[in-house]
Amino acid sequence: MIFSILEHILTHISFSVVSIVLTIFFLTLLVNLDEIIGFFDSSDKGIIITFFGITGLLFTRWIYSGHFPLSNLYESLIFLSWSFSIIHMVSYFNKKQQNHLNAITAPSAIFIQGFATSGLLNKMPQSAILVPALQSQWLMMHVSMMILGYGALLCGSLLSIALLVITFRKVGPTFWKKNIKKKFLLNELFSFDVLYYINERNSILLQQNINFSFSRNYYRYQLIQQLDFWSFRIISLGFIFLTVGILSGAVWANETWGSYWNWDPKETWAFITWTIFAIYLHIKTNRNVRGINSAIVASIGFLLIWICYFGVNLLGIGLHSYGSFTSN
Amino acid sequence: MFVTLNPRILHFSKLHPLSRPSSYFYRTRNVSLTTNCKLQKPENGNQRSSSSGSLTKTISLSDSAPPVTEETGMEISGDRVVKGGGDGGGGGGGGDGRGLGFLKKLPRKVLSVLSNLPLAITEMFTIAALMALGTVIEQGETPDFYFQKYPEDNPVFGFFTWRWIFTLGLDHMYSAPIFLGMLALLAASLMACTYTTQIPLVKVARRWSFMKSDEAIKKQEFADTLPRASIQDLGMILMGDGYEVFMKGPSLYAFKGLAGRFAPIGVHIAMLLIMVGGTLSATGSFRGSVTVPQGLNFVMGDVLAPVGFFSIPTDAFNTEVHVNRFTMDYYDSGEVSQFHSDISLRDLNGKEVLRKTISVNDPLRYGGVTVYQTDWSFSALQVTKDGEGPFNLAMAPIKINGDKKLYGTFLPVGDTNAPNVKGISMLARDLQSIVVYDLEGKFAGIRRPNSKLPIEINGMKIVIEDAIGSTGLELKTDPGVPVVYAGFGALMLTTCISYLSHSQIWALQNGTTLVVGGRTNRAKNLFPDDMNRLLDQVPELINKNTSVVSEQS
Repeated sequence: MIFSILEHILTHISFSVVSIVLTIFFLTLLVNLDEIIGFFDSSDKGIIITFFGITGLLFTRWIYSGHFPLSNLYESLIFLSWSFSIIHMVSYFNKKQQNHLNAITAPSAIFIQGFATSGLLNKMPQSAILVPALQSQWLMMHVSMMILGYGALLCGSLLSIALLVITFRKVGPTFWKKNIKKKFLLNELFSFDVLYYINERNSILLQQNINFSFSRNYYRYQLIQQLDFWSFRIISLGFIFLTVGILSGAVWANETWGSYWNWDPKETWAFITWTIFAIYLHIKTNRNVRGINSAIVASIGFLLIWICYFGVNLLGIGLHSYGSFTSN
Repeated sequence: MFVTLNPRILHFSKLHPLSRPSSYFYRTRNVSLTTNCKLQKPENGNQRSSSSGSLTKTISLSDSAPPVTEETGMEISGDRVVKGGGDGGGGGGGGDGRGLGFLKKLPRKVLSVLSNLPLAITEMFTIAALMALGTVIEQGETPDFYFQKYPEDNPVFGFFTWRWIFTLGLDHMYSAPIFLGMLALLAASLMACTYTTQIPLVKVARRWSFMKSDEAIKKQEFADTLPRASIQDLGMILMGDGYEVFMKGPSLYAFKGLAGRFAPIGVHIAMLLIMVGGTLSATGSFRGSVTVPQGLNFVMGDVLAPVGFFSIPTDAFNTEVHVNRFTMDYYDSGEVSQFHSDISLRDLNGKEVLRKTISVNDPLRYGGVTVYQTDWSFSALQVTKDGEGPFNLAMAPIKINGDKKLYGTFLPVGDTNAPNVKGISMLARDLQSIVVYDLEGKFAGIRRPNSKLPIEINGMKIVIEDAIGSTGLELKTDPGVPVVYAGFGALMLTTCISYLSHSQIWALQNGTTLVVGGRTNRAKNLFPDDMNRLLDQVPELINKNTSVVSEQS
């Protein structure tokens, strides 16, 4: 009983803090820059609070369910938002290099957290029992690596999508704000990256309003370079996690199902995702290819991760049907 | 004596950890005197100022051998080409047989086509698309299923009918020729790319070279000029940051993270290992599954059926497997938590060689055969009626909607030869509780086996003595597993190492001015910052003479 109360409290803390962070992000869109510098700092702190909230939540579940809290979709979603907040914190403490990860991670964390906590998945939050096949030490290794990999790859591919959006957006300086708002309604995830970019640019414009168009293009170019670099680094990292996750899953499958590869839909889609990001990394090795091409591949990868993570579970087919919507 | 060594290179070994301030260095260097020597003037030393030429340095020779020279490597590959006469491995070297010229050119052409990056990317895309298609199209159904699902008169997307499926073998995608062919092509590309692109890249990276002109250094991705600085200080600082430093006269070459260059080769080799292992598994394994009631036995060889052409039975196939006991664990809610089978292996003489209780996630391995716990079934029910018996009633699986299992049996009452036999029906979902229905089919009660609690139906006392389960075992031999696991290990390791950046730095002392340039292959955006941080540590020479004096003291 005390556990479930504690769990509720932690869930609500992390969710509400994340929503406050999101509100701050909203505000930065509307309010002038001078007031939002402090806001940005507080949003980082908010994410740290969220991180501890989710960590506590996961530990609570671990203690009272008696197994590693990654046995169903709800728990894996919580873990995903946890890994987003980790990535956010890493980029926050790594102040040496300015990067744009926090513009990706904070909204991603709230969407995942919101989705997990919302009523959409009615029965999901109940801690399910472990079916025989899941009772293994490999559960911890395999699932946590997979989710960390998904988290990092999602971040990286979102940065790539941001790169694409910025590259293909050709608007004059007078009406960009309107355009952003329109886009905001269309696709929130996209616009957060753009929003950050706008803020970035805004500050620069305020600081040195000498040559408008020149500085705009220069910083746009710089931003694109930075996005390209960071998406490459994050995807490389996520690729490592994904590789380790898939391979540990294969070893586990050889212990449980009698074969290290069964062409189960989930396995296959994870392998497809892996292949796509392998393609991304190969395109990156070629210096003559511009960042856009690899960014397109990365955004395909973004879709594939969601198919792999959700789509297959939605159908509840194959051997990985534990986390499906219908299994409870 | 070190000066007389043929490549006159001073290789700083990592004797000094270099987190100390640079002023400390002068002291350390003088204390740990190993050899003092005067550098000979190199051939191109005309740019050097007299002050740096007469510098006295403390050097220590590293044990690590200098990199293999390129010439020997080339000779080896040349020899092989001459002997093999175009065996597909032709890498270089001029051959002598003219008739073989074409044969020699062909593999090279094939190699260059295969190692083409866009081709490899296309192959990967195709494989990904085929796999995706394999999850969309139902696999392994009967032909009738495809006739109905993909009819000719109403094709999916206007063209896709069952003809496509059967021509391309899409109903068994992952063993279809088109898919395996693509994988084989990808493997060929992997090998070609490793041979023609990656290995030469590493050779170039290993064959470190000094840059002899300012212009060449300034052309690098990162370049900086330090006005009053000494190349020795830079060398020390780079060493402290984990660089391997080589110095020759006024030139410096340093690198870090060479493993990051090697690792992609390792990734490719690991992929090939996994593919080889997969092929071994597909061609040389045995599989089989069996459902054995508790207390019975079977011979491994009877269950295992060959999968590929190269499946060769072993001695272990004569082993007899005896299921001593089959049990199930339950959660408080009544759901199954784990299955256990107590299994004995007996050799031809009937001697027990191994006994183990296996469960899901905990298989038994013996002589290359692995026995997995995969399934269970309800074999029989032991019942006594009014003290008679016990009777063994075979349980039959009853098919209902959903995944949950249901078993039932029937105990006839009265004249069994009558046209409509009446009796007691018993249903069970698991070995835990049996639901009993009376002659009219009405619910009579629930009993647990072993409880010895009789249930009275129409004046009869029925006792459910025991529920006998049968265990579902899967047996497998797979010669590919060790190879695949080796590939897995290598892949994990090399993917991680691939994340490292290979950074190279060149520097040239030009009078008191130091020109530094460098490049890296992965963390490009971070490299300038790192470099600036390192260069900030390089002490500024205030006066030429004092610095020389301090070093000589």
